[in-house]
Amino acid sequence: MICLYVEGRSWLHRLAAGWKLIVLLLVSILIMQLRSVPQLSLALAATLALYPVLGEGWIRRLQVLRPLWPILVIILLVHGLPGDWSLGLLVVLRLCTMVLLAHLVTLTTRLDAMLAAIEPLFRPLAWIGISPRLPALAMVLVIRFVPVLAGIREALDEAWRARDPSERGLGRRRTRWYGKWRKMRALLPPLLIQALRLSDQVAEALTARGGAAGFRPEP
Amino acid sequence: MFWRKRAETQRTAAAVFDLKADPWARLSSVGLEIDGRTILQDLTLELREARIGIVGLNGSGKSSFIRLLNGLRQPTSGHLEIFGVDAALDPAALPRHVGFVFQNPDHQAIFPIVEEDVAFGLTQLGRPRDEALAAARTFLVDHGAGHLAARPIADLSEGQKQLVAILAVLIMQPAVILLDEPFSALDGLAGRRLQEWLAALPQRLVLISHDRAHLQGFERILWIEDGRLRGDGDPATVLAAYDREIERRATLAGPGGWSEGHL
Repeated sequence: MICLYVEGRSWLHRLAAGWKLIVLLLVSILIMQLRSVPQLSLALAATLALYPVLGEGWIRRLQVLRPLWPILVIILLVHGLPGDWSLGLLVVLRLCTMVLLAHLVTLTTRLDAMLAAIEPLFRPLAWIGISPRLPALAMVLVIRFVPVLAGIREALDEAWRARDPSERGLGRRRTRWYGKWRKMRALLPPLLIQALRLSDQVAEALTARGGAAGFRPEP
Repeated sequence: MFWRKRAETQRTAAAVFDLKADPWARLSSVGLEIDGRTILQDLTLELREARIGIVGLNGSGKSSFIRLLNGLRQPTSGHLEIFGVDAALDPAALPRHVGFVFQNPDHQAIFPIVEEDVAFGLTQLGRPRDEALAAARTFLVDHGAGHLAARPIADLSEGQKQLVAILAVLIMQPAVILLDEPFSALDGLAGRRLQEWLAALPQRLVLISHDRAHLQGFERILWIEDGRLRGDGDPATVLAAYDREIERRATLAGPGGWSEGHL
């Protein structure tokens, strides 16, 4: 999964990127105002009801929530243990709904459309001599390269598993959690190095095609 | 700061490239140092041929050399002139006329979808997005890649990726295209096709390759070794000398002996 965008011809794909972002903003504000569990459950259900526009395999797209679960559990406990479980549930529902909605916009919007939609927001920067393309392109490139980074992490993970004896029941016996911790500790530095290298490559590719601000008109 | 730097170049340099300049590149005792390490030194030559091949062992400085030619790197000594203009004057404007195809197409794609990435070059030249996208689609169709337009680059075969990478550069209509080992990830058939396709391009090409089959029809070969120009001339002579050197070093090291720096 190197590319987040899912090809499709649904109404959500066809809706202009600018509208999608505005609606996302308004709905997110609205969701912040909802303060009861039934209301938020309804909002979450409505969000989930939108996902089938992605077509076959839409259920897999919900996995975006998976890496979030430790945070969600912590939020639930922080509110719940002092006695307010419903507040914890409220926050968790709110987060899930907003993440899923934003993800849906990412999945159905191409990056060039996204770039064209957010670039005008930065137009005032032109008054002080900064190209509005710079921040817009930076935002779009984050969306672009997060899945690439995830791919790098996966490759490192595989390299680790291929050579870690405990993965094959050999070596010293360790608890599962200790193994995970050890792996994370070992893989963090190479992951950072590869992330830096990736950013160098992207910068070079960008420079080779005229830089973030683009070519200025021919004299 | 970066934007300030850019604004300054805009003020001071209105480089007017002379695309008819012959030679298009002129190097006099050009050297390149990175972090105190000498990468290239004492390069004095002129480039004017339509097809120039570059050979040399890994780490010899080939990639750095062609990066000088489109402003990705600036020489730390000597003088470099591209299309009649000092390359240090306006390096940001150089890629407009000197396109660069990276060794790994995955390192070149800025946008994930084929037509987005091809259109990106046009928006960089100031064309509005819709117009650029339409032009990119037509361009892809014209080059027999219309069926790839809406596909994610990551899903393509290596040959298709390389083709898209070159088209993304070609659509900007550079006068020269630099190619850093474009064949390295291709199988024999895809390599052959790409080679024939490249041969038909009207642009001047500078191509790094390890495989002499890909240098067929080239007018001039540069052999770079340890950052210096070791050979320069017609393909038959230079490639023969290069082969002899490889043979000499291979036998020198003996079987199983890895010479320094060439693992």
